[in-house]
Amino acid sequence: MSDVLAQRQAARAQAQQLGWPGRRSEHFRALPPPVFERWMHAELPQETASGWTVEQSAGSGVSVRTLNALDASERAVLLAHLPAPEDDRAAPFAWAHRALCTGALHLQVSASAGTAVLRLKHLAAGTVQAPALIVELQEGARLVLIEEHAWPREPDGVAQNLVAHIHLAAGAHMQHLRVVTPGAKDRVAHHVQVALQGKAHYAQALAATGCGYHLQRNTVQLTERGAESRHAALVLNADQALDYQMVGRLAAPRTRHQVETLTLASGKAKSVSNAYARIAPGADEADVFQRLTGIALQGQPHMQLRPHLEILHDAVQAVHGATWGALPEDALFYARQRGLDDASARALIVEGMARAVLARCLGDTLDDAEAPLAQWLDGPWLAEAIAAQWNREPIHG
Amino acid sequence: MSASSALLQVRDLRVDIGERTVLQSVTLDVQPGSLVVLMGANGSGKSTLGMALAGHPNYHVVSGQALLDGKNLLELEAHERARAGLFVSFQAPPDVPGVKNNLFVRTALNAVRQARGEEPQDAFDFLASAKAAAKELGLPASMLGRPVNEGFSGGERKRNELLQLSLMQPRLAMLDEIDSGMDVDGVRAVVKLVERLRSEGTAFIIISHYLQMIESLHPDAVLRLDGGKIVEEGDMELARSIARTGFKQHAATVGAPA
Repeated sequence: MSDVLAQRQAARAQAQQLGWPGRRSEHFRALPPPVFERWMHAELPQETASGWTVEQSAGSGVSVRTLNALDASERAVLLAHLPAPEDDRAAPFAWAHRALCTGALHLQVSASAGTAVLRLKHLAAGTVQAPALIVELQEGARLVLIEEHAWPREPDGVAQNLVAHIHLAAGAHMQHLRVVTPGAKDRVAHHVQVALQGKAHYAQALAATGCGYHLQRNTVQLTERGAESRHAALVLNADQALDYQMVGRLAAPRTRHQVETLTLASGKAKSVSNAYARIAPGADEADVFQRLTGIALQGQPHMQLRPHLEILHDAVQAVHGATWGALPEDALFYARQRGLDDASARALIVEGMARAVLARCLGDTLDDAEAPLAQWLDGPWLAEAIAAQWNREPIHG
Repeated sequence: MSASSALLQVRDLRVDIGERTVLQSVTLDVQPGSLVVLMGANGSGKSTLGMALAGHPNYHVVSGQALLDGKNLLELEAHERARAGLFVSFQAPPDVPGVKNNLFVRTALNAVRQARGEEPQDAFDFLASAKAAAKELGLPASMLGRPVNEGFSGGERKRNELLQLSLMQPRLAMLDEIDSGMDVDGVRAVVKLVERLRSEGTAFIIISHYLQMIESLHPDAVLRLDGGKIVEEGDMELARSIARTGFKQHAATVGAPA
């Protein structure tokens, strides 16, 4: 048996030994993932597949490399970049990923005159997938990354367990738009780990739809003075499931961490938005903001919104809140007074709220280098995704 | 005024908000292209009349009638009233978070145009006319690309109401304290726009306490609302008397309730 296969089998054994996350786990209690066997075939895949395509539209200093995780030396490179599975209830996913992963994409961006703009698409064959993405920004580098996912149509759905590791060196700047819209029967678990050094700035806007099971778990480590992370999640969930988890660790002075989620749910949807931030001792003037919003559009969806702070230092600022409600009645009537029927008024306002939460994260006034983000926000995706979720005609601008 | 030719005919309208009766019995007629000024102390029911005619769900019409060009407004949904030609400006226009002004107005305008049997305006033509209207009203064109009323000052919100009025060209517009929060140039823009739309056939009900603007608008009638009823009807002299003496003293002078 090769060393690589032995490593993969050991990782699978580790995942099984730890026990798959279930209702007994605090993090997964509200929305436990399908059992281990639904994420893993009996045989480990033996063909390399990264599934990523990259398109660069601006900037320079970008290095793109595909890593073959079935090759011992390239696997070693991959594992060197991925942090060891944390000792938490998500660790079984990380071990399962190590067992399944056959390929990865490695992006390195160095500082150059302009902002690099990349479009990343993932589409892989197979009913069980474990893609990996490593993004490294060197000191002072700037990147706009639009990451989109597509799934093959499979009668029983696809199980995708993705790990992304993003590292920003001092002064680096990254705006990351993630669009994740699986099919109704798919099972999705994305684990995005971000590490930020001094004065690095990372903004992630996630637009995601519910499916059979959908986990979006983000962990951000703000390890040096002045690092800043902003996260927005737009969850569109009609009768499906989506679990958004955000863990922020502020370990240095003047670090800032902001989380805003908007869940639009209907029918029998189950949605969880769970934001946890820890401010470590010594993190002077750290600043945390958490705002979680859930809006029931129809029916009686189950929405759990959990902002959670752990503050171990005195001189900090922290604001958190959760709001569960309906669409703003005054805005709805205003739109109707101007001639829009109820359904059109609702669609327009839902789309507007959705766009606003993403735009606030990415920057309300996007400059030329960030034009692809502005174009995406103003484009048809939001209207079409909302229309698709709630089976109505989109309103296009 | 002749009731039979009136664009708007309101008869004995009684309106409750929750348990409270705010409009006791309101009767009025508005002719096409005419302008009626509605005055009244705070709480007399001026805004309630606008919201009730617009079909706000919190304003419950208990009895009475309201016809717009012969159509029973009270049987129509709020958006159908707007499509029938009724425009009610809001005293405090709300934010519509994240919805860009140009998308909002164009979507609304095209819904109204469609109801009139007209072709929808494409984005290019709409933007040209919206920019021209914004310029006339002193509203920076950049505000067309911003979310509706979000971060707008009081005056900018009112100008944004006028922008929509200008583009929609309704049959009847009810402007509720459109001058509040407006600077001098804004008030001039109101007068100019109202003049133009009147010449094109739009009728107006203007709620205002600002005599100088009322004078400039050359109203056909001035009505005083008190205790949920129209208690006095007159011309500019009525507005001047109220402005000079205040609602209480004016009412005491004429012997009507204040």
